[in-house]
Amino acid sequence: MLFPKQMSEVELIVPAKDLVAVTRALSGYGVFHQVDSAYLGVENAGPNTWQEKAAIYSALERRIQSVFQAVGLAEEYPAGADIESLVDLEAVIPGVDRIEADVKAVTDRLSEEKKRLELLESQLRQLEPIAEVDVEVGALQRSEFMHSILGIVPAANVSRLRTSLLRVPHVFFILRPDAQKPVVWILGQKSNFDILERAAKSAYLNPLSLPEEFSGTPEQITARLRHEIDSSMGRIAAYESELAKMGVTYKSELQKLLWDVHNSRVMADAIIRFGQLRHTYVVVGWVPTAELGDLTTRLKHASREILIETMATDRAGHHSNVPVALTESKWLKPIQMLVGQYGHPSYGELDPTLLMAFTFPILYGAMFGDLGQGLVLFVLGLLVYNKIILKKGGEGVRTLSLLIAYCGAFAAIFGYLYGSIFGFEGHLIEEYLGFHFEPVFSPMENILSALSLAIDAGIVILLFSFLLSMINNIRARDWAHLLFGHAGITAFLFYLCFLALAFGGLLGTTALAPKIAVALYSLPLPFNILALVFGILVMFGGFLRNMVEGHELIEGKGFGGFAMFIIQSGMDLFETVISMFSNTLSFIRVGAFAVAHGGLSLAVFSIATLGGEKPGIGFWVAILIGNGIIILLEGLIVYIQTMRLHYYEILGKFFHGGGMQFEPLTLGTSRKDT
Amino acid sequence: MASGVFGYAALSTRARAMYADLLTPHDMSRLSDAPDLPALVGMLKNTPYGKYLSGLKDNELTSRRVILQIRNRLAASYASVVQQAPEQTRPLIRQLFRYFEVGNLKAVLRSIQTVSSWTSDVAPWDRVREVLFPFGTFSSIPAQAMVESGSIVSAVELLRGTPYETIMSFAMKRYSAEQNLFPLEVALDLDFWRRLWSEVKRLSGKDREMGARLIGSLLDLNNLMWVIRYKIYHKLSEEELINYTLPFGYRVRDEDVRAIAAGADIASVVSRIYPSLPNVASLLEYPIAGLPQLEHLLKQQVMRQCVSTFIGDPFHIGLPLAYLLLSDFEIQDLVVLIEAKSSKLREDEFRPLLLKTKLMQ
Repeated sequence: MLFPKQMSEVELIVPAKDLVAVTRALSGYGVFHQVDSAYLGVENAGPNTWQEKAAIYSALERRIQSVFQAVGLAEEYPAGADIESLVDLEAVIPGVDRIEADVKAVTDRLSEEKKRLELLESQLRQLEPIAEVDVEVGALQRSEFMHSILGIVPAANVSRLRTSLLRVPHVFFILRPDAQKPVVWILGQKSNFDILERAAKSAYLNPLSLPEEFSGTPEQITARLRHEIDSSMGRIAAYESELAKMGVTYKSELQKLLWDVHNSRVMADAIIRFGQLRHTYVVVGWVPTAELGDLTTRLKHASREILIETMATDRAGHHSNVPVALTESKWLKPIQMLVGQYGHPSYGELDPTLLMAFTFPILYGAMFGDLGQGLVLFVLGLLVYNKIILKKGGEGVRTLSLLIAYCGAFAAIFGYLYGSIFGFEGHLIEEYLGFHFEPVFSPMENILSALSLAIDAGIVILLFSFLLSMINNIRARDWAHLLFGHAGITAFLFYLCFLALAFGGLLGTTALAPKIAVALYSLPLPFNILALVFGILVMFGGFLRNMVEGHELIEGKGFGGFAMFIIQSGMDLFETVISMFSNTLSFIRVGAFAVAHGGLSLAVFSIATLGGEKPGIGFWVAILIGNGIIILLEGLIVYIQTMRLHYYEILGKFFHGGGMQFEPLTLGTSRKDT
Repeated sequence: MASGVFGYAALSTRARAMYADLLTPHDMSRLSDAPDLPALVGMLKNTPYGKYLSGLKDNELTSRRVILQIRNRLAASYASVVQQAPEQTRPLIRQLFRYFEVGNLKAVLRSIQTVSSWTSDVAPWDRVREVLFPFGTFSSIPAQAMVESGSIVSAVELLRGTPYETIMSFAMKRYSAEQNLFPLEVALDLDFWRRLWSEVKRLSGKDREMGARLIGSLLDLNNLMWVIRYKIYHKLSEEELINYTLPFGYRVRDEDVRAIAAGADIASVVSRIYPSLPNVASLLEYPIAGLPQLEHLLKQQVMRQCVSTFIGDPFHIGLPLAYLLLSDFEIQDLVVLIEAKSSKLREDEFRPLLLKTKLMQ
């Protein structure tokens, strides 16, 4: 839970005769992350027919999917189907050919008829703008002195077409305005024929193509076209009904074909990434160690001669090639979403999901502490999560709603501690809600204490983040960063000295002083000297890390030499001090928002009482609207602030991300079904 | 302003962080010194591109494969910006990203036309996929099915329901008559830039101003190069030049494009638009060598425009847009380096082609 799942690297030597059975065992369980090992194969090991097979399966699958689409069926697999083996191409191709040919005969006719209908409708639309004109359409084309172009042009090109014709005399009519395909008529002198034609062509004008059989006036042609369109629509309806019948007839056969071909395609795709030797295949991949036993049993069941070599992968060192499988929990999904926005954990490092599952709602609740408003968020989140409202919301909305529910629950808990219900606090509760509610700690009445407490909480979280960073470094055996990293031991000790001197010493006598820093400062330790020592170590952290790792001691020493190195180190120290200061103070916002929440509620209350001290309907409406605004506006701002605190102050200390996601081979079924 | 701060707080911070991750001219110079392609890839593995190159095996070390991998970084940047951008600006970013889809579409169409001349045993799709931009789930074109369809007509029919359907339906009439991809490609380009510009115009306030400045500058570059190339190489008529260009941009006005189309001296028009560009007349004297150099200088103008965006008010779409454009230019530079190292070009042959030089600092 605290770390990504332990992974084992698996290398298999599979006899060629058991290739398919082993592939099925690997693909059907959803636990094997394949690594392309084709390069491990020997050249000239014989013709690799799997590339070809995979391509054929893929093409076949697409053909079946097209048939599904043509007959209007949803792509489904047969109920209770099992994965047997790679389907024999010679057995399925005739079936696919037969159904496809039957369906294609109808779809071809349908498509031709649709094209004809489209043409007829387009001709009708083209004629509509000149329907009132009592001339023969053909006469326009046969003019002796004028050149006429009637056609459809992309709407976006109309203005450019007009500009391009400016240098020759012409008339330009938009006969039928349309957002995409307007009908235009250009008339110019016959002598400018070439310019008019070039302009029309380069503006992608498609000239009208009126069939010669439709002669006469536009009105006469229109009547004939309408009749043709009616007949064409009748034929289309008949073809569509024929296809629907085919859908019913072929449904079960198509589902079976799709199931077989899809699974065969997945397995063939996997096989082409195996390394081919003379009589065996090399397969490489990753499996969660916990699943290794089951998988091994299944593999041995699939092939008695298979050689299985497994290596549990230590978390030490850098493992950018190890896929990272995280513990799946529907309750942690919203937190995993937040972590995922920052980065996917890498193999060796701590998964911060569990930590954030505590800190995120707690910090949110501390900033948005209100029993009533918190419960509203909680209930709203649960209603959306359980699809009682916003039923059409996708998985993302559900995940977010669960996060809202968590935040709401903690807002309610802190609201209880702060003694705040829908913005009513202290005597207002008794006065307007009719019962007594004593706060455990009221931020509004203890503003400076609230701010100081927030800094204390921040210090605890930051110290904890330092420790997590050190744990990460110990597990990765990254001794250089453990000692001299930006969140390593020296930085941690320097931070303690910094806390004691800056927050315990300088601010120690003020009400803002965080208790932890004051307690630290009271210890009988020479913090000045310690700060100097650890400061120097932090300052030359890069140098010391290079020394531990055996790298070139001063990077880029060509640029400005030693002086530049000293300046850079000084800047590093300055930046460290500034960031320690800002990171610590950043948490003051938790207290500030807790206070601001009370202030905002008071403002709402003041507006509500503008109509008089006695609470009437207007009072409660104002309270209702005010609470709504607070929940929406402040709820969102606090969410952003909580995210900011985590991304900038907390995760940055120990979490790097950049891990590769675990993507196991999966056939078209669930593990349970398999 | 307030909405800008709320909307852009996270995105601007991220854009700045990603901007800091771009390679410096010094990095580029160091990479140029790599003796060969494996050495260059080794050096790139220590840059932010390392993440995308780590899975590359030695036997996959071809220039095409490496280029494909490093382009993944740009795709990831787009995905990240689209996800974090305020709702009203997302259509603009998505449309800008479609630039690469349009490129993919052109590559697919070209491959269909030339596939019959390929003698390799490798399936056409396997060859084509290597040159396509890794558009991932954003892609709306069925590239594989198009390549496998075997003809331009069938391939274009597969574009039904995509944003390219309408414009291709017009352009296909010309393709059928001319059997040439030129009208299809021009139609796709014009349609892409028109849509992009209309997305800019849909924005308001600072977003609109910065969008017009950056997208407009990019559009200027393309518009100007189109009209010059069509004029010099294709010898197109005035009306065709007007129809194959666009009447908007940041610096380049419709009057400028029309002046070139009508036969005005190209060098004087370009110098009037970009007074700081040196030796435009001499560049245009020998267009075969000069036009790529002019394009290079114009690209650097756009890059400067992008870099200047990072100074001042950060709460607008300018920062992420500028980062994405700079990232694209950086990858163009890396493509030059990869191809140069793969073809063993001399330093003096490829260095002038790099956009990110010390001048850009």
